Amino acid sequence: MDRVRWERIQSLFHAAADLPPAEQRSFLSGACADDPTLIGETLALLTEDARGESILDRGVAHAAHRVFEPAYTPTSERFGPYRVTRVLGEGGMGVVYLAERDDLGTIAAVKILRDAWLSPARRERFASEQRTLAQLNHPLIARLYDADTLADGTPWFVMEYVEGLRLTDYCAAHRLPIADRLRLFRDVCEAVQHAHRHLVIHRDLKPSNILVTSDGSPKLLDFGIAKHLDPVDELADGAATRTGLRFMTPAYAAPEQIRGERVGTHTDIYALGVILYELLAGRLPFDPTGRAASEIEALILSQEPERPSAAAQREGHLVARTAGGPRPRKSEWADLDVLCLTAMHKDPQRRYATVNMLLRDIDHYLAGEPLEARRDRATYRLGKFVRRNREGVTAGVLALVVLLALAAFYTVRLASARNQAVLEAARAQRIQQFTLGLFDGGDPDAGPADSLHAVTLVDRGLREASTLDAEPAAQADLYLTLGGIYRKFGKFARADSLITLALDRRRALFGVSNPEVAAALVALGSLRVDQAKFEDAERLVREGLRMAQGSLPPDHPDVVKATAALGRVLSERGAYDQAIPVLEQVVRLDESSGAPPVEVAAARSALADAHFYAGHYPASDSLNRLVLATYRAVYGDNHPRVADILVNLGASEFDRGDYRQAEALDRQALAITQAFYGAGHYRTAANLTMLGRALVFENRFDEADSILRRALAIRERVYGPMHPMVASTINELGNIAVQQSRYADAERYFQRMLDIYRATYGDKHYLIGLATSNLATTFLYRKDYARAEQLYRDAIRRFTDAQGPDHVNTGIARIKLGRTLLRERRFAEAATESLAGYEILRKQTNPAVGFLQNARKDLVADYDSLKQPGRAAPFRSELAAEEAKAAAKDK
Amino acid sequence: MAPMFDDAHLLDALFSATYEELRRLASTVRRGDPNATLSPTALVNEAWLKLRESPEVARLSRLHFKRIAARAMRQVLIEAARRRRSAKRGGGAVFVTFDDAVRESDSSLDDVLALDEALRDLARIEPRQAILVETRFFGGLDVAETAELLDVSESTVLRDWRAAKAWLAHELR
Repeated sequence: MDRVRWERIQSLFHAAADLPPAEQRSFLSGACADDPTLIGETLALLTEDARGESILDRGVAHAAHRVFEPAYTPTSERFGPYRVTRVLGEGGMGVVYLAERDDLGTIAAVKILRDAWLSPARRERFASEQRTLAQLNHPLIARLYDADTLADGTPWFVMEYVEGLRLTDYCAAHRLPIADRLRLFRDVCEAVQHAHRHLVIHRDLKPSNILVTSDGSPKLLDFGIAKHLDPVDELADGAATRTGLRFMTPAYAAPEQIRGERVGTHTDIYALGVILYELLAGRLPFDPTGRAASEIEALILSQEPERPSAAAQREGHLVARTAGGPRPRKSEWADLDVLCLTAMHKDPQRRYATVNMLLRDIDHYLAGEPLEARRDRATYRLGKFVRRNREGVTAGVLALVVLLALAAFYTVRLASARNQAVLEAARAQRIQQFTLGLFDGGDPDAGPADSLHAVTLVDRGLREASTLDAEPAAQADLYLTLGGIYRKFGKFARADSLITLALDRRRALFGVSNPEVAAALVALGSLRVDQAKFEDAERLVREGLRMAQGSLPPDHPDVVKATAALGRVLSERGAYDQAIPVLEQVVRLDESSGAPPVEVAAARSALADAHFYAGHYPASDSLNRLVLATYRAVYGDNHPRVADILVNLGASEFDRGDYRQAEALDRQALAITQAFYGAGHYRTAANLTMLGRALVFENRFDEADSILRRALAIRERVYGPMHPMVASTINELGNIAVQQSRYADAERYFQRMLDIYRATYGDKHYLIGLATSNLATTFLYRKDYARAEQLYRDAIRRFTDAQGPDHVNTGIARIKLGRTLLRERRFAEAATESLAGYEILRKQTNPAVGFLQNARKDLVADYDSLKQPGRAAPFRSELAAEEAKAAAKDK
Repeated sequence: MAPMFDDAHLLDALFSATYEELRRLASTVRRGDPNATLSPTALVNEAWLKLRESPEVARLSRLHFKRIAARAMRQVLIEAARRRRSAKRGGGAVFVTFDDAVRESDSSLDDVLALDEALRDLARIEPRQAILVETRFFGGLDVAETAELLDVSESTVLRDWRAAKAWLAHELR
């Protein structure tokens, strides 16, 4: 059957369909005289039409009804090395089995989510998601050992087998008094906080997921598993995570979950609040008994729960049975009410912003101190605009919610012990780092697709901030954090005005010398680094650091931050000997203050960079490898921070002459960056440039040229034409032009580069030397030896001053000078320079490096001309040996 | 409004999401009440309500979404039928059903699979008609919606539907 035939049959069918059956055949005979076969086929259709029993008439419901499978149970099924032995139980989301590992005899629990069938497209991502969960390593969190899907897509998980009582049952069975319940609850919160720090949200916290083992410690189960019940998880890279679940018992569901909005750490905090309610009051805030799911959902959305103190009082007899020990006093109950109700507030941004803050208030309560959550209500006004933006939310909203709560927190400090203040600030600062990191690619769920939304959101935040004129402190905080966000997006002009504004406000509020002002100075200084205004940057940061050191203890996070900023400034402006000790100090402080691994890694990374620029390649590499391991462990293999370190390692290989290895590392990094940030992003440009460099030195010029032009286009657009980033790309393009004998082009490129660097760094920076040296090379190739010699000498002077007489760059420049002098037939001088350069490079680079070969060639020529065959001989044989090696490799 | 998908990646992702949602809804309903009939219209509407808030789906119209949902529904049923059939034959099945006594006839499973086959044949000959059948049968679109989706008149929809019905009935005998 083909199309033409089918159309003919259809038209015959329709023509005949409404004729009385008797007439149909005769009609068809007439119409199909040319092709009698059509008659039979059309008649067949007409017959079916008359019968009206087509499957399409019955409807798919009929067919589907029989098609879906009833419940099943695996029989001696294997999951990895585990073998199922018996059923442990059946929960809302799936069945749990006990499994045994044949080789080791250990046991584990296997959970099969029979409702969470994964489409083929999603199965591939499932495995990588499990890695994050498997990394959750905390004594109070049940370990995930393995996870995969069955052939039909059903996900299964193998996890630590935990035996114990449900949290609520345990408390009742042991008649725990309130304070002990609170302590147990506190442990649970610690575990949740740990997970949040690793960017894992539980999404389904409830007492049945918290078992208390016989030694009295709780264990949290099923982290992240609820995610797989929600098929609308990632519609595109970095899209919103939604929970459209229909809950069997929605009692613990947060309002945003019921509404199908985005979940986040705040959702876990809500659940914690409900659990606490249950522990305090002996019942759930919205009692599900006898109620339909939709009814409970409605209550959760709109009804304020009875205060736990009131509920406990009413259920007095119940509580007396299940809770022992001293009853809380009335004032204590008031605090418990606040603790509980703040956590489970219906408005996410009125809850505790982080589990840490909840923990702090628990500690306050247990220590008999006032809570923080009862503080000034005015601070909550900051969050108003976030509420309006609840639709179409992105990761940025979560960040801002936390930021605003943080800003509110900053303005309201407890007048408590100095150590306490330090600890608070440390925590607060880490939260801030985390949330700023969300815009940095720190959150795998955010990422490039959302950045546009986030910017829009921040713009809106700006408008809202201007309405805060009556609260200048909070407004300054907001300006500062918004400025930081703009900076992350590379919108430096905006960031500048905002941070400057914040600084002015704070000066007006707090006077001329104050930690808040210091922080703003440091922020402005850091921005100046991005803007390549280094003198300004150093001045501001030093001022900020001095100011902070004046009034804060030396290990205070603000002081550490300022120190790190100073290290960065010094590094960026080329003062590596100064930068290294400063950055070492930062690493030390971070390590000793127990900062999370990624912070320590970031500090190490900055130190590694300084070592690299100073030419200490082994030190740089070993630091970078530590950092790489940390980032891979925390973020996975495809994270931009991993890419950054790969680039750094590549640069090190490059400087030592292993260009192939540098290319490989750069390509790895580029793949990650481009996938994450997009083809037009300034980070992609950075990676492209490094790759281009490596290709140049492998003599793959055409490839390199096109790569670098891409990078240049991006950078000119993002940074403007006079930025050092543009200059570094131009440098590479110039080198290519030289190799391809396009000397006029090359000269233009290097001259432009020189102009940019001079304007930006002043005359003393080593990059001026680099530009000068490259410019000199164009003259060398054009046989303008006098000019070349002059420029090379200039470059050598600069390199020696900026990086030392034994730096690779100095060595290379001397070799080039040696070649120039050789061309001018000044053999003795030539030999001196070439030999010096040779000695420098020989100690630090791969012996096959082109510059070394060139040096050898030149030295042979020099000594031959000087009639000193004895001195020429060793170089001659080295030259031959390397050439033979190279030839053998090429075969 | 002709069905137009200008973003293959988006389509894949959407399909995937719809697929899973329908599968999940289907099994939920099934387990809740063994005698309930599964209405594709209801399922698709439920999935639409659930998924429409997400930014990608919000870009689509309800009809486009239903179009994808219908395709997904078809896939869900086909896969389920295949699995069920292989389980009955003991064909490498991992799972043992609780209920080994099969009271219903097997023919519905075969019908669903044969329908899928036949639709693919139809799609080779007359693609628009195959889409029509798919969206109406699996997606539960009514005549007006189908006409709008395919950018044809309602009478065309009715005619094509009638012819397709007859043809499929014949093919499945």
